[in-house]
Amino acid sequence: MSQVKSNKKFKWALDFNPKTRTQTTELPSPPGYSQSTNASYTESSRDTDSNLLLIKKLWDVALGPLKQVPMNLFIMYMAGNSISIFPIMMVGMLIVRPVKALFATQSTFKMVEGTQATGQKFVYFIGNIVNILLALYKCQSMGLLPTHSSDWLAFEEPQTRVEHIGGGLSLI
Amino acid sequence: MGLLSIYFKSNFLGLLKCLNKLNWFIVFFSLINLSVCIYEDQIGKFDWRQTYVGRIKFSQFDTVSTAKKIIVATEENVLAALNLKTGQVVWRHVFESASTGNIQLLAITDKVVTVSGANPYLVRGWDSATGVLQWEWSLSLENDDQSDFSEWWVQNDLLIHMLPVFGSHLEVSMYHLATGQNRGYTSKLPASWARDSSCVVTPPYYTCISGEKGSQQLISLDVTSQAVQLITRPLSEYVNLETYDGGIRAVDGSSVIPAFTIEDKKIIMIKNNKFEMLTTNVGDASASVALIDIANGPVVLQAWMDDNQGFTMTAHSVATGAELPELRVTDRNLKLPDPEVSSAVCTKSNREQLVCRVLFNCGDDSMHLMQQGGRVLWSREEALANVVAIEFVELPVSDLDAAIESEFDQKEAAKMYSSIWAAFSRRLQTQFTQLQTLIQSIQRGEGLEEDAPSALVRDYFGLHKIIVLVTDVGKIFGMDNLSGAILWQYYEADLDTEGVVVFTRRTARHPPNDAYLTVVGKQEGTGNGLIISLNPITGTLIGERLLKLDVQLLQCTLLHRPDNEKLHALILLDKEENVQVLPRSAAPLVENMFMYVAERNTARVQGYALVFNGQEVEAIRTWLIQLGGAAGARIVRALAKPPAERVHSPGRVLPDRSVLYKYVNPNLVLFVTEGPDPVHKDVVVATCVDAASGAIVAAQVHRRARALPHAVHTEHYLAYLYYNDKHRRTEIATLELYEGKTRWLPAGAAFSSLSSERAPSVERQAFILSAAPTAAATTVTERSLTDKHVLLALSSGAVVEVPWVYLEARRGGSGEEGVVLPAHAPELPLSGDARLNYNRTLARPAAIHAAPAGLESTSLVLTTGLDLFYTRVAPSKTFDLLKDDFDYYLITVVLAGLIVATYSTKYFASRKMLKQAWK
Repeated sequence: MSQVKSNKKFKWALDFNPKTRTQTTELPSPPGYSQSTNASYTESSRDTDSNLLLIKKLWDVALGPLKQVPMNLFIMYMAGNSISIFPIMMVGMLIVRPVKALFATQSTFKMVEGTQATGQKFVYFIGNIVNILLALYKCQSMGLLPTHSSDWLAFEEPQTRVEHIGGGLSLI
Repeated sequence: MGLLSIYFKSNFLGLLKCLNKLNWFIVFFSLINLSVCIYEDQIGKFDWRQTYVGRIKFSQFDTVSTAKKIIVATEENVLAALNLKTGQVVWRHVFESASTGNIQLLAITDKVVTVSGANPYLVRGWDSATGVLQWEWSLSLENDDQSDFSEWWVQNDLLIHMLPVFGSHLEVSMYHLATGQNRGYTSKLPASWARDSSCVVTPPYYTCISGEKGSQQLISLDVTSQAVQLITRPLSEYVNLETYDGGIRAVDGSSVIPAFTIEDKKIIMIKNNKFEMLTTNVGDASASVALIDIANGPVVLQAWMDDNQGFTMTAHSVATGAELPELRVTDRNLKLPDPEVSSAVCTKSNREQLVCRVLFNCGDDSMHLMQQGGRVLWSREEALANVVAIEFVELPVSDLDAAIESEFDQKEAAKMYSSIWAAFSRRLQTQFTQLQTLIQSIQRGEGLEEDAPSALVRDYFGLHKIIVLVTDVGKIFGMDNLSGAILWQYYEADLDTEGVVVFTRRTARHPPNDAYLTVVGKQEGTGNGLIISLNPITGTLIGERLLKLDVQLLQCTLLHRPDNEKLHALILLDKEENVQVLPRSAAPLVENMFMYVAERNTARVQGYALVFNGQEVEAIRTWLIQLGGAAGARIVRALAKPPAERVHSPGRVLPDRSVLYKYVNPNLVLFVTEGPDPVHKDVVVATCVDAASGAIVAAQVHRRARALPHAVHTEHYLAYLYYNDKHRRTEIATLELYEGKTRWLPAGAAFSSLSSERAPSVERQAFILSAAPTAAATTVTERSLTDKHVLLALSSGAVVEVPWVYLEARRGGSGEEGVVLPAHAPELPLSGDARLNYNRTLARPAAIHAAPAGLESTSLVLTTGLDLFYTRVAPSKTFDLLKDDFDYYLITVVLAGLIVATYSTKYFASRKMLKQAWK
């Protein structure tokens, strides 16, 4: 029974008295170690995993502005159309942030190379543009945009005259 | 955010828009913003008032009271006391300007007694020290037709009234001075010899020259004596009857001795009921003769003005005929035109010296108090009580500034500096001179500071100007606007100032050419044109100098285009409808020029086109309008826009941010006419006429109303005043002309009256004025950026500034959502805060004149009338100037403190860092 047992090589059994010394040079792998599966698995999984994560993360960044849109809409709704310091500050933030973000596009997507980079940049760009448009719409509804002719009235050239007159009540 | 605010500044209105939803808030806001009151310490800082009394009618030295004064009664119906030493007004009473205020008599007993009015007369006694009314009684005459010939004097506490009925008798009544108690009867003295033209009153004598030519008698009668005692002498005893022309004149001054001159040659005195001819003859035909009583006996005082000899005054003793040399004055340089001895007083000083003071009333309405020896103690220019035309004139820049300016003048520079090096050396030169003047000014500043007179150069803000005033009597003054000091004066006795016009033909901006100002008036007598051209800075005649035309002028105007010497030509349209252009060389420049002449009494307006036909300028009749509808209308006011008016904004922004474009026709003239109407008594018609094409642009009728000659007309709006007969109140009507929400012409295009076919829309409104206005004007600023306010002078003596928003025709009219206008109220608010002259009441304000200052925010305002009042107003507040009470000291201290704090903290911080590093 023991013979049978000893012959049978168990995974978790260590045989300190091997019958043959032929295999001395090659040490058995530690228990629980599977060389073939492990090597192939770790190498491939690390590579693909980090890439996927990065892409995911970058999509998050790229979609960020678009995700802000509902929040901005809410802020805009809450701020109201009156002109006072807080609404003006909010509108200022609304307009300044996407513009800043647009300028910082390059640095945000600096390390990205790959198939999806253009798409991400594009989405990011679109998102910011949407935000800017929203802010502009807000400015428009607050009446801050010089879109009427009345806003440019002060810069208009004054009219000149052709005829000149003189006279008055008769001096006689 | 800063960037944002710059971009969106143009919509600052949006801010107002949201505010005005709270209506009361806006009213409150506007009240704070628009009030123009000043602080107590600012009184007299920007303004001055000069009080005048008018040309002297009667004057008396008040020797009774301790404070020495001269009491004067004037043609302007003013009773005033003048300080003997300075000539300043001690007290003043302004009576009614109509005949009810005419002063008939001024006498000084223990009180100052005046008789004023014209049947009924008011006899009043005033305290001479304070001017307080002591007693008053009235007197009405039954014989109203003759009452104009009444003569009054005071004798022994009795007021004597004498009424000559020519050819018949004299009615003499005597009244107790203080109570008015009559003696019970009026004595009628037979005087069939009394004639209208040849009688004089030398109290208590009434003297006439009567009889057929060749055998005239000199008859005199003491009207106060109980017995009728005629003094009769043949006139031939005194003058040669062959050459006698009928002249008899009572002596001037408030003489106590009855005397008169015959034929301006002989002086005759009545003494002991006898005529007594003085041995002294009248020195000059134009001489003023007065008899004064001095210690040595009566003296004949004579004064006259000669073109060559200058001013002469002589004194002769009545008794001996010997001249008193200490009273003789001859002064070649003293210019007193037509001097008249108004009153004189002589006393003996302690050292037996004669001290005489003579008050002269001159032909130019000035009064001068002269001491013996010819020293003029003071002068008063009473002509300024009657100003008829005003012009503000810019001062020239200083020589240094002119040099700098010429450096930057493009044409000039191209001429002078061919190379960079020349320009560079020129630059160094000017900067060296600048440095020199700086050093000089510092040195001068150390020496005599108050001695240096302020040079007549333009100041940095353009607030310093010269006011040229043309007065009724024909005297032209140049006045410093900051101090009110008279800089120069020019008297032209021949100038009739009815309808006089003043033109600035060249400003002082064009060195080396002098400023050039022309006064166009009429000649006394003939009514022919009289043109005076002078340099308004110095008052010297230049250019055409004094030009007497031999034709009557219909109208005159200024050519809009300057010639090579930057001089605007004068275009004269004479009675024969010929055109003269002065200077003649400017005639080819006449182009697109139109004139209109309105006849006041027929309400006909004739339009002319002025055309240059190669040789001369012709006036071609183009249009004719009969204004006022019914016959019998007359023009009360014709008002065109100021010729050099700028309109900054072409439209008005509405609450919905659209633009209502203004109809700015530079050729528009407002005519206010008044005429009878069969149904509505009087009708006032206001008509806006395009004076180039003759088209009627807008018109407005007020029934049962009478027109007032006060109107304002600028940009697209007009306002005029009328008296509403139905409701018995004064109202102000405003008209605003608009093109509509789209503009007719593109921006910057030329407006031509002849090619415009559309009619503007007119907004109208009228407001009740709870005061009686006597003048109206609008503020004027350099670029018209600032709001315009209407200035109203009221008969109460106030000058009130009314913001145009209150006069806005659109005010409260349409009830639009969120209008930035105050709610409609029928009555125009005239708040006390809006009063420009705070507690300095002006007597009879007659006209307001506004002129722009160099600062955009500020407008200079001069009110004339009996008083002159000058101030400056800032309709939109002084946005371009630091506040008057700006604390320079505090801001310097704060700045210095901040700098010190910065450096000290820097030092401490570095020390702390060092310490931390060692730890």
